[in-house]
Amino acid sequence: MSINKIDPTKWVDKYSDYLFNYTIARVNDRELANDIISETFLAGLKSMKNFKGEASERTWLISILKRKIIDQYRKVNSNKGRAEVKINYKEDSNEGDWLEEQAPDRFDKTAEDIMENEELGLAILNCMENLTKKQAKIFKMKTIDDVDTDTICNEFNITPSNLWVIIHRARTTLAQCLEKNWFQNE
Amino acid sequence: MNKKRSLLPDCAEAGYCCDKKQYDEASFLEKIKMLLHLAICKPCRKYASNNTKLTKLIEKSNLKPCPEEEKKMWKETIEKEISK
Repeated sequence: MSINKIDPTKWVDKYSDYLFNYTIARVNDRELANDIISETFLAGLKSMKNFKGEASERTWLISILKRKIIDQYRKVNSNKGRAEVKINYKEDSNEGDWLEEQAPDRFDKTAEDIMENEELGLAILNCMENLTKKQAKIFKMKTIDDVDTDTICNEFNITPSNLWVIIHRARTTLAQCLEKNWFQNE
Repeated sequence: MNKKRSLLPDCAEAGYCCDKKQYDEASFLEKIKMLLHLAICKPCRKYASNNTKLTKLIEKSNLKPCPEEEKKMWKETIEKEISK
């Protein structure tokens, strides 16, 4: 079995998107997610010497992250007794608004759907690890961050046709990877 | 020759149009050219179908971009901790 090495200087580039999406799906708050990830990296640095190399670096970081998320749940729960119930639908100014505000989430979106979508997101990020650093960065900017072509070209000092070649290679690699792991479910 | 090429694009050009289409950046002409090519090329049909699936999957996954400034901060924190 190959022994996995640990290199904290690459953690952010390699795993932050994965950790971020993993966390945001669970805590649903950007600020909080950022704090939790920050704590995870620090905890990782502290316990680096305990890393045996049996699991991949990412699996190991995720296991730390999971504990941090559970800690967070506990914190929230211990505050429950002090929860404040806000009922302000009686205010004249927004009378009539409450129906819309109170509307539930879509009925057709079950917990299973949400979980499946989250797994899918992580599967896509997983497949992105097969891309080169430049491909991954440009693909993410174009596809997930929705940055327009010109801005990316300027930033990387490439022509639009360079960009489309990079995107093409990235998409081909990703489609192949997902075909193995996901397309058959569709 | 030139005219022929512009009417019937090769696989590379069809792929290029197909990629642009995924980001709504293909022109009307590019879309037509792509369809013409797809009508006669099975591998490209497969590519186009997978490419469209990929777009749908990415939409469905609702991936959120991790903010760059956070990444920068994490990097700095890690470097600071290591050099301690």
